[in-house]
Amino acid sequence: MRKILLFCLSFFIINAFANDEKVVNVYNWSDYLPDEVLQQFEKETGIHVNYSTYDNNETMYAKLKANPDVGYDIVVPSTYFIDRMRREKMLQPIDKKRLVGLSNMNPALMNKSYDPGNNYSIPYLVGSTGILYNDLFYPIGSINAWKDLWQEKYHDRLLLLDDVREIFSMALLVLGYSPDTTNPEQIKAAYQKLQALLPNVKLFNDEAVKAIYIDEDATIGMVWSGDAFGAQQENPHLHFVFPKEGYVLSQDSMAIPANAPHLANAYRFINFILRPEIAAKIAAGTGYSTPNAAAMKYLPEAMRNSEIMYPNAKILARAHFQMDVGDAADDYEKYLEQLKLSA
Amino acid sequence: MKPAQVSKALFTAFIYAFFYLPIAILIIYSFNNSAFSLVWHGFTWQWYAQLWQDSDLQIVTLHSVIVGVLASTCATILGTLAAVSLYRYKFFGKKLIHSMIFILIVSPDIVLAISLLILFSAFKISLGFWTLLFAHITFCLPFVAVTVYGRLAGFDKNIFEAAKDLGASDSKIFFKIITPLLWPAILAGWLLSFSLSLDDVIISYFVTGPDFNILPLQIYSMVRLGVKPEINALCSVLFGVTLLFVCISQLALKRNSVTNARN
Amino acid sequence: MVKKGHKFCFKNISVTLIWCWLGFFALIPTFLMLMTSLVQQGDTELIRLQLTFANYFTLFNSIYLKIFAHSLLVAFEVTIICLILGYPFAYILAKLPESLKNLALLFVIIPFWTSSLIRTYAIVVILKTKGLLNTFLLWLGLIHTPLQLLYTNTAATIGLVYSLLPFMILPLYANIEKLDSRFVDAARDLGANSWQVFWKILVPLTLPGIIAGSMLVLLPAMSLFYISNILGGAKTMLIGNLIENQFLAARNWPLGATVSVVLTLFMALMFLTYVKVRSKNTADMGDLL
Repeated sequence: MRKILLFCLSFFIINAFANDEKVVNVYNWSDYLPDEVLQQFEKETGIHVNYSTYDNNETMYAKLKANPDVGYDIVVPSTYFIDRMRREKMLQPIDKKRLVGLSNMNPALMNKSYDPGNNYSIPYLVGSTGILYNDLFYPIGSINAWKDLWQEKYHDRLLLLDDVREIFSMALLVLGYSPDTTNPEQIKAAYQKLQALLPNVKLFNDEAVKAIYIDEDATIGMVWSGDAFGAQQENPHLHFVFPKEGYVLSQDSMAIPANAPHLANAYRFINFILRPEIAAKIAAGTGYSTPNAAAMKYLPEAMRNSEIMYPNAKILARAHFQMDVGDAADDYEKYLEQLKLSA
Repeated sequence: MKPAQVSKALFTAFIYAFFYLPIAILIIYSFNNSAFSLVWHGFTWQWYAQLWQDSDLQIVTLHSVIVGVLASTCATILGTLAAVSLYRYKFFGKKLIHSMIFILIVSPDIVLAISLLILFSAFKISLGFWTLLFAHITFCLPFVAVTVYGRLAGFDKNIFEAAKDLGASDSKIFFKIITPLLWPAILAGWLLSFSLSLDDVIISYFVTGPDFNILPLQIYSMVRLGVKPEINALCSVLFGVTLLFVCISQLALKRNSVTNARN
Repeated sequence: MVKKGHKFCFKNISVTLIWCWLGFFALIPTFLMLMTSLVQQGDTELIRLQLTFANYFTLFNSIYLKIFAHSLLVAFEVTIICLILGYPFAYILAKLPESLKNLALLFVIIPFWTSSLIRTYAIVVILKTKGLLNTFLLWLGLIHTPLQLLYTNTAATIGLVYSLLPFMILPLYANIEKLDSRFVDAARDLGANSWQVFWKILVPLTLPGIIAGSMLVLLPAMSLFYISNILGGAKTMLIGNLIENQFLAARNWPLGATVSVVLTLFMALMFLTYVKVRSKNTADMGDLL
């Protein structure tokens, strides 16, 4: 008994001291950073990384909002959440003088409207939302646009990403509206459009998308490019499509929360990620594209030439960066609830 | 055997099969020689070997066990005291305590998670080990209280009155009469708390800080890409340990079994 | 005198401890939730401190009533299946020889000491297009194309029944075990057939167990949303989803709080009804487990 007590005691003490300077608390999307990179960082710098994960922006936002002193040093929100969080002063401005290698970034992905001048965010990874289909079930080339998914022959076949903005972006693009619309009429129209799609929907998912496509539990539907790339490696029958109407380019960026306790270490971490060879490792490990132009030459051949990861300029012209929709988020959510109820 | 007996046996077997099939699958697939747990690729120990070397997973498991043991122990102490107090004493706000226990049982996890998160931030308690422990004690406590109270209600109240008349103090009655009589229920409450604590994702997710990760959260973030064999291996080990644990406690208890107390 | 002081001491210590703990970790949070349900949603802050009952009126919106009705329907379905499977099983268990009884019951509980997520994913492995069940049926030659079982309401129901069945079995077992078998024998001697024995004797005598088990299944079935998300393809909206969505995705904390306050009240109401039905004096919170 005494030994156990002693053990517990020493455990607390260790924990108390672990909170010292040699730590950085990273809060990232799940499966978004290869272990190898973390280990290399710890080995090089001697800084211990406390790595926690989230699966949607909302969860991360709720945790930070409800308890601003929660202690994260790095978070990786998507574009529209960077927009919201910087306006709500949840992020602190990044001192670019302390960064090394910022010039390596692809200028096409910098200085976007969600964070003019990149004062709060440094791009981490980029992905596109498109369509994935299996050629064992549907002929190659038969699907080119979002609107194709509405065809009756796909009854009970589709996988839709379980993300309210992604689902509505698809419908809004089909209708020719902006995916960031706050116009109630347009949102309603999108809702009605989606209602027509419901008979085709087999499932909503945002967590095991890759496995579901690989195992052919779904044979067609929406996908994030990183999952698509990974799934193709396992199942060569899968094909990715950049829809004709346009597509959402989601860019997740590193940011420093306003009350980050280990600021110096946070900068060291960002600088580490900015290194071209590290950025390449992350891109290779996750299947998403790197915003780091200098990293391209470190990528495996197959990735560098992958259309999914690095689409040409013509496709890129159809890309759309998501912005915050403010209070309209409520409307979107209400319609999604209504949609699922009629499913 | 009569047909009625055969159908009874078949039915019982069917229900047990229903309960154990998923467990059997996860144990079998923990030996599958493939990173994809779908098709059988032959037998391997490799996931167990990998588990043995995965120090991160071990630390996280250790964290979980420590929180589980501490939380269920504290919850058991508090829950037993609550049950005994509610059963024996009249005191200020008794109804309120009753309702609090009820509310804790029925509120959805996400509600408890968010309200505790607000509480901790209102009192500027930084998230981490302690907040996690407090939260776990809180959601385990009512289950212990209810289990113990259920057992207590089965006794004749006169036993305690008789003891009191014979001059036993309240603390003496508690330690010498109540506790020995209740200990199957107390043990059951502890086991229930421990399993609740080891299985909780939602509340833990919100109340833990960046420097303290526990097993359910780790499992949650790992199963997203399909269950990895390493997780299957870990769950098999935990299942084996639980089974061992149960067998030992069964042997120790013999007649006064845990399950008896649960009812 | 010493004794009296002692008593005072023990009672005070335990009551104070309970009060402190539940007061801080249950009463204050519940109060905070209640307050949250009475204020407005904020623009940049989560809430705006302005008293309103609007959230409660919003709940009468047809969507929310539908979600509530739908959750209740799903929960009832699951409860009835659990009852149909659980009653005979509990009966058989309760009539086992003394030496086997406890062991048999323990083996009902043991599977539930492993991670519920992992168990749910194990069900996915069984039901997948290329999963065990389909492989088996194809091998037997019973089917020629794989059945689409996963991501259907059936799959979600199977998952819920799997997770909640023990909560039906345990109270039923407790009740049936206490049952005096002489009632059954007497009825038989008086010429009642099995059906009559069941409806006229067993059901009324085990009603408390049936109700307790049904409560324990019904209440969680309304809020266990991750099972229906993983197995049912997230196509349905349960009360649990609604609360989570309001807190996280819609960032409408007041509405989320309102839903959970109403849900708690609803459950309390059901519990009180149960206490009334059960009988005037014997029911107490111990019946919950």
